[in-house]
Amino acid sequence: MGIKRRQYWGLIFVLPAVIFFALFSYLPMINSFIASFHSKDIISLKAPVFVGFKNYIHIFTSEDFINSIKATIIFAVGCFIPLVTISLLIATVIVSLRRIPWIQNLFKMIYYSPSIVSGVVSATIWLLIFDPRGLANQWLNFIAGNPTPVDFKWLALPAMARLATIIIYFWKYVGYFVIIYFAGLVSIPQSLYEVADIDGASGWKKFLSITIPLLKPTIEFVFIVAFIQCVRTFSIQYVFVQSGSPREPINVVSLNIYTTAMQYHSLGRSTAMSVSLFCFILIFTIVQLRIYRSERVSYV
Amino acid sequence: MYIRGEKFKKHLRLIIPLVVLTVFALAILVPILFMLISSVKHPLDVFEFPFRWIPRRLHFYNYIQAIAGNDGNYYFIRLTFNSLFVAGSIMCLNVLVASAAGYGLTKFRFRGRQVIFVLILATMMIPFETIMIPLLMLTIRLRIQDSYMGLIFPVMLTAFAVFLMRQSILTVPDDYIDSARIDGAGELRIFFSIIFPTVKPTAVTLAILVFRESWDNLIWPLIVVQSQKYKTLPLYIISFLDEKYTNEAALMAVAVLATIPIFMLFFAFSRYFIGEGILTGAKG
Repeated sequence: MGIKRRQYWGLIFVLPAVIFFALFSYLPMINSFIASFHSKDIISLKAPVFVGFKNYIHIFTSEDFINSIKATIIFAVGCFIPLVTISLLIATVIVSLRRIPWIQNLFKMIYYSPSIVSGVVSATIWLLIFDPRGLANQWLNFIAGNPTPVDFKWLALPAMARLATIIIYFWKYVGYFVIIYFAGLVSIPQSLYEVADIDGASGWKKFLSITIPLLKPTIEFVFIVAFIQCVRTFSIQYVFVQSGSPREPINVVSLNIYTTAMQYHSLGRSTAMSVSLFCFILIFTIVQLRIYRSERVSYV
Repeated sequence: MYIRGEKFKKHLRLIIPLVVLTVFALAILVPILFMLISSVKHPLDVFEFPFRWIPRRLHFYNYIQAIAGNDGNYYFIRLTFNSLFVAGSIMCLNVLVASAAGYGLTKFRFRGRQVIFVLILATMMIPFETIMIPLLMLTIRLRIQDSYMGLIFPVMLTAFAVFLMRQSILTVPDDYIDSARIDGAGELRIFFSIIFPTVKPTAVTLAILVFRESWDNLIWPLIVVQSQKYKTLPLYIISFLDEKYTNEAALMAVAVLATIPIFMLFFAFSRYFIGEGILTGAKG
């Protein structure tokens, strides 16, 4: 077999993947763009009508979508900040136990276990905890020392429903980021800390001037992944709304895309939301990468 | 005195982290323990005040109710099979197609190779929520909606999988492949008997991640399936939750049953989950 002909085998190996991405990624993406400029009822057989930017104008002037953006940002920021900080803190504490690896592994496994539980199951468990008769009320009343039990209305009040979804998300993913940080932390050479010890640096000083700068690639990765993941949240909000929570405070963009298409059958508006979400995530990632690229540190 | 002080300080340096980690671990474990304990409680005891962590009476009937369903149709068994079958198929197809693509992209020099790789990687930037509705329309046009094919094919591959397998296959020395060629092995044979076994650890990791994500997937089955017989477990839990006469203990029993397979996987392969490195790129 000639060298030239053999190279075409490469194409054959790549072909299934190429077909998949062309058919199930690029084609729907293109269709999404096209559909967002048309008006079409999903279940009717009528042909789509070109409407220009009308769908975009409609969603960006409607209270419904603006509220979705607000709900998504509140949720994403509310999850992001505790996720990226507390997981780093916990990972640092685990790393400090380097003499006893089995304890490290034990804690890593415990923290990671909620990530294994599926999104729907987690939401269901927490629904019962946040029930008016549930653990959350019982414990909060106990801590607050209330003589007569108060119902905090976790699932009914707008602010509490938001807080509840954030707590669930934090619980589910904190361990995932602990493990990523842990992997980054153990790769920092121990000798740097020993040198700092000789110089008499305090723990906090070591953390700020050795750990943080050298952990930067991991931190960058965690920031991008955590934020995009939070923006894309769906399961928890869906289960909450299904079980009777008010929709408005937790009507995140993905949930709105779903409802607009599957319940209101408006393909144009739903895809206009999709394209907006896509643009937002794209711009966010590009900006983040730009910022990171300009400030790299290396001590080794 | 000096020596004792030093020793005390050393102990303290061990005890404080342990206390912090244990408190945090308990907080993380509470919901999981709550699920396990509630699933064997009498339905009337799930919301008792104060909540008892050791049940007063054990009530395994919840599990029978979970499996039988509220109207005794035993859909749970069928839907468990669906979940296993769909997640299993996606796992196999994903690893196979991604490894083939990784092999083709690294060990052959055909025109357009780099372009294809970049175009595949670029799909990482497309969130699934952005394309799900057009993807559903496409699935309907292909006449595979509301079927196993519809559940499997449109979500069987990710750019991350191709990327992971490509990086792994890059490390396979060309000499292995060349000597096999000299021995007269065909390209398919080289792929299955040289490339695949060499990158097995990566393939196993990928397989586990993919299985877990498919098992967890709610949004795609939710929009692509209408009939009861193709639903997966997350949809079963939601329909169970929707039924107003569901008792909470049975609900927790369903949750436990839906979690058991994935926890078994977790404990069997925990080093792949919590090991360093590979997981860092997972999930997107």
